[in-house]
Amino acid sequence: MIKITPSEIKTISQYIYDISGIFLDHNKTYLFETRLSSVAEQSGCKSYQELYNKAKGDRSKEIERKIIDAISTNETLFFRDKGPFELLQHKLLPEIIDARTPKSGSLKTNIKIWSAAASTGQELYSIAIIIKELIPNLSRYSIQLLGTDISDNAISQASYGKYNKFEIERGLPQAQLRKYFTALGDFWKIKDEIRSMVTFRKMNLMMPFTGLGKFDIIFCRNVAIYFTVPDRKKLFAKIADTLNDDGFLVIGSTESLTGICPRFVPKRHLRSIFYQKK
Amino acid sequence: MNTLSILVVDDDPVIRKLLEQRLKKAGYSVDVAEDGYKAEKLLQKRRYDVILTDLMMPGGIGGIEVLEIAKEIDQNVEVILITAHSSVDTAVAAMKKGAIDYLEKPINFDELFLRIEKIVNVKSIMRNALDIHEAMGTTEQAASRTIQDLEVIAAKLQQRLDLVENELRDSTKDPESRIAASLDILAGF
Repeated sequence: MIKITPSEIKTISQYIYDISGIFLDHNKTYLFETRLSSVAEQSGCKSYQELYNKAKGDRSKEIERKIIDAISTNETLFFRDKGPFELLQHKLLPEIIDARTPKSGSLKTNIKIWSAAASTGQELYSIAIIIKELIPNLSRYSIQLLGTDISDNAISQASYGKYNKFEIERGLPQAQLRKYFTALGDFWKIKDEIRSMVTFRKMNLMMPFTGLGKFDIIFCRNVAIYFTVPDRKKLFAKIADTLNDDGFLVIGSTESLTGICPRFVPKRHLRSIFYQKK
Repeated sequence: MNTLSILVVDDDPVIRKLLEQRLKKAGYSVDVAEDGYKAEKLLQKRRYDVILTDLMMPGGIGGIEVLEIAKEIDQNVEVILITAHSSVDTAVAAMKKGAIDYLEKPINFDELFLRIEKIVNVKSIMRNALDIHEAMGTTEQAASRTIQDLEVIAAKLQQRLDLVENELRDSTKDPESRIAASLDILAGF
């Protein structure tokens, strides 16, 4: 493993912040080394300064993409932390369905849900499975499920929907596993009926949100923790702009919006908390 | 130290006895079975960390079948196959089915002990990882409860403060009654 020097940490962490908004603690030397050493080696670099120079000069942005892939943390569990999904199933979805179902029976019910840090897709597929099980007559609905992530690697893995045994067997009950996935050797692949419900695309949450429209439910879990407080404030202000007035926001169970975004109020449902606009 | 429990399955009484003696001497807890049927019975009764089974045995249950039965009863059991040189391909096929390793006859005991030590190491690392994962989950749950409680309390306090602010700024009332009303709001918390 290539060792990193203090001055390289300064350069590299500033660069990572500029391209991704992710703020890495300067004391976590091992984090830089374990995540970036192989990127440096693959790019033919002997030091992190060299990697930085090469990345800056790389017009194709290939190295930048590799660095983002290496540095962003990918969640690997389905239904990670049951709370948010029970909340979705028993409270958020029923309320949104009630609010969005048109009086005239011939019109479709439009619902838009966004998984803002989709990683390799587990959260959005878990949401899709819940919707599939909750709504028997899906043809009367127009449901848009969008997953975004900063990592190209994560997005292509999410789009493909293939997971290894370890990624899938924790959290996902056997019955659901067999119902919604097809076995492929040591891997499981999401079935087309669920895959076709979702869309993934690359997006950097630090950049302006363009062309997204407005959502009824936004999941933004365990990503803002990697941002600085000023950046968190900007992020949740943009999320507030992107959420319908009666929509719901779900953040990570150990995250807080106190002092971050006064436009949201927390509300409790059973063991979980969700946020609505004031 | 070696609390590992091992089941030896071999139809050859000499090899069976030899394995049992050497493994016991090394401090492992050892049971033996002379064929697949006996092995299945023992597997139903108690759990083992490692199964050391001959690949070719007379009767309907060979090493591959022992592997399958054992894995079905307990996913975490590790199976090492003992094979004649000529059946290495079958042993490799068995590894695809979940065997952790294979040994060629004649058995080299140094090699066998090395393999077993490796399994012990991997198992303890896996157990550690699971323990850490468990502990992390518990910590996260406790933290999230605290954070969520505080989040709700902070929101309620903010709401009160907003009311107090409105009250104090209400120029239609005289200052004293504004203060009195504000104190009432604060007392109600």
